[in-house]
Amino acid sequence: MHMLVLVITLLLMAAVAWFFVSAVRQSPEGAGSGNLASRRTPLIWGMVIVGLVVSGATLWPYPHAVSAGDDIVTVNATGAQWSWKIDVEQVPADRTVVFNAHTEDVNHGLGIYGPDGRLHVQVQAMPGYVNQVEHVFDEPGLYQVLCMEFCGVAHHDMIAEFNVVAN
Amino acid sequence: MTETTRFRPQSDAIKFTMLLAGVVFVLMMLFGLTMRAAQGGLIDVDPILFYQILTAHGAGMVGTAGLTGAAILWYFLGRYLPLTATVYWIFLGLFLLGVVLILGGIFLGGFGAAWTFLFPLPAMSGGAWEAWAAASFILGYTTIGVGFLLFYLEVGRQLIAVYGSFGKALGLSVAFGKATDDEAPPPAVIAAAAVTVFNTIGIVVGAAVLVSSLVNLFVPAFAVDALFAKNMIFFFGHVFINASIYMAVIAVYEIIPDYTGRPWKTTRLFAVSWLAILLFVMAVYPHHLLQDVAMPGWMLAMGQIISYFSGVPLLAVTAFTLCLFLRGSGIRWDLASALLVLGVAGWSVGLVPAIIDGMISVNRLMHNTMWVPGHFHIYLLLGEVAMSFGFMAWLVRDAHALGWSGLDRAMLAIYAIGGAGFTVMFLISGAFSVPRRWAVHLEAWILQDRVATVFALLAVIGALLLVLRFVTRLGRAGKVDLRESEA
Repeated sequence: MHMLVLVITLLLMAAVAWFFVSAVRQSPEGAGSGNLASRRTPLIWGMVIVGLVVSGATLWPYPHAVSAGDDIVTVNATGAQWSWKIDVEQVPADRTVVFNAHTEDVNHGLGIYGPDGRLHVQVQAMPGYVNQVEHVFDEPGLYQVLCMEFCGVAHHDMIAEFNVVAN
Repeated sequence: MTETTRFRPQSDAIKFTMLLAGVVFVLMMLFGLTMRAAQGGLIDVDPILFYQILTAHGAGMVGTAGLTGAAILWYFLGRYLPLTATVYWIFLGLFLLGVVLILGGIFLGGFGAAWTFLFPLPAMSGGAWEAWAAASFILGYTTIGVGFLLFYLEVGRQLIAVYGSFGKALGLSVAFGKATDDEAPPPAVIAAAAVTVFNTIGIVVGAAVLVSSLVNLFVPAFAVDALFAKNMIFFFGHVFINASIYMAVIAVYEIIPDYTGRPWKTTRLFAVSWLAILLFVMAVYPHHLLQDVAMPGWMLAMGQIISYFSGVPLLAVTAFTLCLFLRGSGIRWDLASALLVLGVAGWSVGLVPAIIDGMISVNRLMHNTMWVPGHFHIYLLLGEVAMSFGFMAWLVRDAHALGWSGLDRAMLAIYAIGGAGFTVMFLISGAFSVPRRWAVHLEAWILQDRVATVFALLAVIGALLLVLRFVTRLGRAGKVDLRESEA
């Protein structure tokens, strides 16, 4: 997923950059603008239609929806300058795990990194709120919790661990 | 004198501002280079100092982007409005006073809560800084904000005086089809009117949360809801940095026509586009809070949707119109015109990773990773700053010389290649889940940091050369503002 996002982004960036490079290459007098002007309206409508389709497809169902039920595994993770307290040492794979993110002081960010070193899911932890996020772990292994919101001079020391075990 | 350019811009004040800004840009870039080199293990920087540098870099870059945008607006609006010079000097004086307070808070007091001063971090440093240091930083921001409010008060006052009403200056009558394109104010005026509205609102909201944070420093019982404070901070921050770019693009509207011979006139589409910008800039800020799931779902969905649609005015109007004007124009390329075109290109390209990150499902993987500084460095380093450097090159252009030298081309290439490599490395690191704002990096991330450091060094060298070129040309004979000489 991460690399797919990167590749799509770089391709779209290259397309926008090429639009400018093409205009610069065609800038000498007499090169003409072709029928570029007539393409503005289709571009606007194209962007609007793509935007509506992509928005609908990515917002339904709501990405932050949290499941409920007896089968849910709940984990409480509390950030405090500068450590995490996690109330379990291991969670099962292939089951929905709901993380309750708390903080005892300032804003923190609960970032869960897999054995592959990639960020799998995150949510903010803020004073006065319990923020929930759910995730299903596909791969057993040692996972790390890193702080994703700058919280002071030892922000980079906020690392904790838990295990995901085969269900 | 032409019908539309009735007044003489305050050239000396603006040149002085751009000189200050150019020096600060380079200094802040050196801070950025220091941080990347430290993350790559190439130099040893104590984390306490790292986070102070991080704070100074963020505040310094955002503030200077705002300053250069304001200077560009003031210069070109000075062609259409009799702006009061004293107001500008007060604005600049307050800005410099604010800088002193901010730097004092950071480097004398040890304040290091990042430029976003997220409540309640300024009051809860864990012993890293005293309350007075945070107060100095907050008062510095507030002082700069007061200066900007005076600035916009004068701009708004003169817009109403000259155009009859604020709505007319904003081009509403053209946007709603009640006036023809020929009756519309010039693009610079419409842009200035829109920015005056949203940046004034943004700064007032920022001032409210700043004052709340200030009181909280000394009266901890006075606590603000953390989520509400976060909303206010990101509303202010988002609006302010966007205002910087939208003010800087006025240089493109005003300068590029001199090079292409094709006037950038207000059309109904242009006026509608700026009306959309005015609304979108203020409504889109929840895309900074996509992982704050306590936010109402409709606000986060709105943040994602408007984040995408904010791209329509930029890509389909500003970028499209510029490319349309370039084609077959016989544009006279020099350092100024090239940097201005680079600025719009960088801004447009940087929009792509911003929109992608504005999707909740992607944001869950990319938020607060290096992806975030990746996208905003593209549209700042290769966008706003490139436009500012283009404006600086234009201010000291040699009206009698044609084209540009090999050295000019080399400066542009070094800056653009360094900037592109530096920013793409941020995106790559984001895809590898490297968190942002970490003073100490894990072994697995260091190679990326080192490659980024090389590109950062190139970008700094390019910027330094561009600023030195500006400095050496300041005051040299033979540089004239063609429009000023006509006035």
